[in-house]
Amino acid sequence: MSELRKEPVLYDSGQSMPYVDSRIYSDEGIFAEEIEKIWKKIWLVTVHESELPEPLDFRTLTIAREPVVIVRGTDNKIRAFRNVCPHRGNLIVRKPAGNLSVAEPSGNANYMTCMFHAWQYDCFGRCVDIPRMKQGYQDRLRKEDISLEALPCEVKHGGFVWLSLNKNVEPLAEFTGEAFDIMKVELDTEPLDIFHYHKAIIPSNYKLWHDTNSEFYHDYMHYFNRATSMMQKGYFERQYTAFPNGHCTVGSMEVKYEAYQGAKERPLSFPGMPRNGWKMVDLFPGATYNIRGSSLRVDTTTPIGPNLVMIEFRGLGLKRDTPEERAQRIRDHNTIWGPFGRNLHEDLLGITGQGVAMRPGTEPRQVLHGRHENNSIHDEIGMRHFYAEWQRRMGRSPSDPMRELSLAAE
Amino acid sequence: MAWKRLCALGDVAENALRKFEVDGVPVVAALVEGEVMAYPPLCPHMAEPLEISGICDGGTLTCTKHLWQWDMKSGGELGLAEKPLLLYPVKREGDAVLIDIEQELVYDYD
Repeated sequence: MSELRKEPVLYDSGQSMPYVDSRIYSDEGIFAEEIEKIWKKIWLVTVHESELPEPLDFRTLTIAREPVVIVRGTDNKIRAFRNVCPHRGNLIVRKPAGNLSVAEPSGNANYMTCMFHAWQYDCFGRCVDIPRMKQGYQDRLRKEDISLEALPCEVKHGGFVWLSLNKNVEPLAEFTGEAFDIMKVELDTEPLDIFHYHKAIIPSNYKLWHDTNSEFYHDYMHYFNRATSMMQKGYFERQYTAFPNGHCTVGSMEVKYEAYQGAKERPLSFPGMPRNGWKMVDLFPGATYNIRGSSLRVDTTTPIGPNLVMIEFRGLGLKRDTPEERAQRIRDHNTIWGPFGRNLHEDLLGITGQGVAMRPGTEPRQVLHGRHENNSIHDEIGMRHFYAEWQRRMGRSPSDPMRELSLAAE
Repeated sequence: MAWKRLCALGDVAENALRKFEVDGVPVVAALVEGEVMAYPPLCPHMAEPLEISGICDGGTLTCTKHLWQWDMKSGGELGLAEKPLLLYPVKREGDAVLIDIEQELVYDYD
């Protein structure tokens, strides 16, 4: 039996062959710790504001196992609350989406009603009715003192609703820093509008999806990308840039869509985006903004277990699109990124295979992160930068994850 | 006083609230022991539509959401109700039922 090293091996992005231990993708204990130390602490991008266009529109979701409801108030402001009744800990809003003007069977119009004992809350999270309050609580409890727990919530970076389960989280601008500078003009010159949503639930680890979004070497899996990009001018000049807090961006190139039989160049674009350009912003711990000329795709991941992830895909264009422009953007989006598009299913098959080969109970394996190419498109700096941040937040080395580091991050 | 036509006598029944609109003002009405009674359409508690959730029985109106109850003749509170029911003046002229809506009656919801 080999001697146990005193200190765990640090994940060092500068070493000659950085690697991670596959148990970071399969271990139940590590997964539970990621939920606590990362997912419950950090800003997460969720729905787009155009999914709640009217006052009292709502969406429900679960992040880091916590039920959340997002509501557009009568003052038009979007807020997020824990979707849990302070009375007996029950789920309150049970529909995925809707408008609060439609009364629940045990509630009244314009309010969120807990179906259990009919406690009701308004769009500001305030409790507005407790049945037989005085008879049961006398003067010991007043509805004026009860409210749903409001979560830090900001609408930013192209009109997306960002929220955090951590009420002491830093301002969002501090968390994203300069990572969005590359896409600021495209995202924030005029309002965006959602035209596509689908989701995939894959037996694989959430980080494996983010890894795929953070490296382009896997274009060897995509014939479409080899034909329209890797073979074209500018591909190997695309640069990765790393930003604080684990984010990175990928610089643009001009994609030659017509090099794939049946595909056409994309005349539509976004403000500030050259025709047929292609930029990406990868955000720790599991979201990506991806603009290919005429359409923006935003991926958000929801880890369900070490070997189960929900990935939601949204496609967006400009709010002012004419019907013809919108139809064109949808065609452009779906030919590559729709559920039956040219690329997306290949990426999903990629992580499905990793999910089989590194599922719980499989032998620990070393997964290599060692491509160095001056931060250009096949360099794996995006992944290395992500795991350096993971190590900082977890206080564990991705290369040697079963022992805690003594220099744990706060 | 501004008497307006609410409905025909045959349009309202015992033990059933029915919704009408008079010059754009919504009203619910029922027969209570042969007499037509008219009220604002929403429960004074949580603005529940009474023509949907109200049950009339033996001169008592119950809003089934939170079981507030009223005497339908006087509008007075019964049981759990914490606010009275407001009444519109109503009279009969032959077969027609007339209502006096000088001003729409609206509850004060806090």
